[in-house]
Amino acid sequence: MKKIETTIEKLKSDIADYYKPDQHHFIVMNAVDLGEKMEIQWFFSDYAYPCDTTCFFAIVNPAEEIPSIKEIVVSAWVAEAELVDLMNIKIENTEKGFVLEPDFESGPLRKKK
Amino acid sequence: MGKQYEIPVGAQHISLLEPLHFKFTTVNEKIKSTEANVFYVHRGIELACCSKFKFRQVSFVVGRVCGLCSISHSTAYSQVAEKLLKIEIPTRAKYLRMLVIELDRIHSHLLCLSHVAENSGFEALFMKTMQYREFSMELLEAVCGNRVQYDFAIVGGVSRDLKPEIGRWILERMKTFMPQLEELVDIYQNNWTLSLKNKGIGVLTKENAMRLNVVGPFARAAGLAIDVRNETEDLLPWKEVGFEMITDTAGDVHARNMLRLREIYVSIRIIENIINGLPESALITETKAFPDGEATVRLEAPRGELFYYAKGNKTQVLERLKIKAPTFSNVGAMAETFKGNEYGSVPAIIASYDPCLSCTAR
Amino acid sequence: MMKTFFKALGNVLKKPVTTKYPFEQTYKPDDYRGLIGFEESLCIWCRRCEAVCPPGAIVFSQDMEGQQAYHYNRAVCIYCGECVRSCPKEGALFQTAEPAPCALKAENINNGWNKLFDEAIASREAYAAEKKRKAAAAKSAEVKKDTESKEGS
Repeated sequence: MKKIETTIEKLKSDIADYYKPDQHHFIVMNAVDLGEKMEIQWFFSDYAYPCDTTCFFAIVNPAEEIPSIKEIVVSAWVAEAELVDLMNIKIENTEKGFVLEPDFESGPLRKKK
Repeated sequence: MGKQYEIPVGAQHISLLEPLHFKFTTVNEKIKSTEANVFYVHRGIELACCSKFKFRQVSFVVGRVCGLCSISHSTAYSQVAEKLLKIEIPTRAKYLRMLVIELDRIHSHLLCLSHVAENSGFEALFMKTMQYREFSMELLEAVCGNRVQYDFAIVGGVSRDLKPEIGRWILERMKTFMPQLEELVDIYQNNWTLSLKNKGIGVLTKENAMRLNVVGPFARAAGLAIDVRNETEDLLPWKEVGFEMITDTAGDVHARNMLRLREIYVSIRIIENIINGLPESALITETKAFPDGEATVRLEAPRGELFYYAKGNKTQVLERLKIKAPTFSNVGAMAETFKGNEYGSVPAIIASYDPCLSCTAR
Repeated sequence: MMKTFFKALGNVLKKPVTTKYPFEQTYKPDDYRGLIGFEESLCIWCRRCEAVCPPGAIVFSQDMEGQQAYHYNRAVCIYCGECVRSCPKEGALFQTAEPAPCALKAENINNGWNKLFDEAIASREAYAAEKKRKAAAAKSAEVKKDTESKEGS
C-alpha cells in the first residue's frame, strides 16, 4: 500500500491531478479515530497488472469541514454519506440521515472517552 | 408531455430478495430519475469487531456478514490479519481457500441467474436452474461441513483438510454437471420470450462504467476489464490454476447472464486444476504475535471487488476494521442506469445487478 | 420456442426431483460439524476453550472447594471447532457429527443460560477471593507465631 500525505487545502487539487477515469479506480473512503485527531483516507487502485493500492491520507481536527470529491469522482457520495453518520464528521454538501435514524446519536464508531 | 408520477419499489416487494428501496419519477411508465435508500439492515459489525471480539474470533464474525459470499469475507479478513501478524500460510491452505472460493462462485452465480429468470416471468427456468444448483450445495457440505456457514478460513490457514475420496467425488459431479450447464446456456441464449425481457434492457455503457467506478460482472458485461484475480497475485496464485478474464460489450441484462454462465466454465476448470495438483503441506501456521500496524487486502467475491482495511495496536482487540462490499460501489451506478427503461422491467434489472444488501449495510 | 414447449410437455411425465424429507434422507457427510462432546476424566481445567469460543458457549463454574464444572449451550454454539483445536489434551473435547436437537421451552435455553453464565463467572471470582483471604489469614497467623516465639526465647 502506497501512502501519500495531503491536507484539507490541497485535497481537491491533489486528487484532480492524480485521478484519471480510464486508469484509476476509486475504492472507498475511510476514517480512523486517533483520539485527539482523525485520519481520513481515500483509497485508489489501477486497472492494470500488477497493481497496488494508493492511499491519500490527511490528519484533521474532528470539528473541521472536509471538502468533498464528488465533482471529481462521481461515485464517492455513498462513502461520504456513510462516514458523516457513523463518524460524526462534517463533509461539504453532505447531509446526515443516510445510514442512521434521525433520532439516533451520531458517531457510534468514535472512541468512547 | 405526460404526467409525472413517483413510484417506489419499496423495502418490501414481491420480486425483491434484498431489502432495498428505489423511488422512481416516471413519465408514462418511462423512468426519468431515481433516489436510492439502502441501509435497512445495518447491524454495527465494524464496531463489534473492534470492541467485543478478539482478533482470532473476528474471522467467524465477518463470515456472517453475508450468506452467499461468506467464504470471501472470512478469507479476506484472514489475509489482512496475516499481513498484520507478518506470517505466511502454507501452500496447501492457499489452494484449499481458492477451491472453496470457486465452488462458492458457482452456487452464487446460479442463484443470481435463477432470480433473473423468475423476475423475467420464466418461472420454469427458475426451478430448473435451482435444481441444477443443488449439487454445489452438497459439495460444499462435504468440503466444509455445512451448507451455508463454512467457518473454513481462519487466521493462519484453513480449519479442515480435503480427503482424497471427496476430491474424486467433486470431479465426478462436475462431469455430471457439464451437460446440464450446456442446456442452461442454450436456453438463456436462444429462448425468444426471455430475450424480449432481457435484450437491450438496463444498458450500462463503458464510459459510464469507468466514470461510476463499478465492479464485478456488472462492469465486465459493459466492457470494463476489472477483476481482482487479474490484478494481484501475491496472496493467492490465480493465474497458475488457469484463471481467465471474461468480458462482454453489450452491457444489458442478457450480456450479464451470458457472462455469469461463462464464468462458471472458468470456475469448473480452476477446480479441476486445483484438485489434480494439490500440494502436500501443513494446514495452519501457528504464531503467538499480536497484530500491529495497518494493512489492506482486495479479493474477488462473486459480486465484485471486496476490500478490507485493518489497523492493530499490539493487543488482542483490533483498533479499526473497514469493510467495503462490492454492492456498496455499485449503488450509485444502479441508480443511474434505470433512466430510459420501462417501469415493468425494473425487477429483472435489479436481479441482474445481483445486489447483496447484507454486505452493503453491515 | 417450440423446443421449450415440447420440453415442458415432456416434463409433465417425469417424476419430481424433490427429496421427500423426512421419509427419504438427504445427503449427510460423515464429518458434518455437529455437537461438541466433553470427556471429563481427561480435562485439565485450563479453561482455554472458554477463552477462544467466539460466541461464549462454554463456561466453567467453581464451587468453594475448588472443583470446576463444565457447562455448554448448544443453541449459542456456532460449531466452528475452535475449542477442539485449542484444547491441549487430546480427546478431552471432540466434535461429533450429529446435528443439535431443537430446544424446548422447558429448558429455558436463552435467559436461563445468561443467568448461568453470570453466576459461573461470579462463583469463580468468589472462590479466588476466598482463596486469597485464606492465604492472607494463614500468612498473618504465621508472622504472629514467629514474633511470639522470638519474644518467648
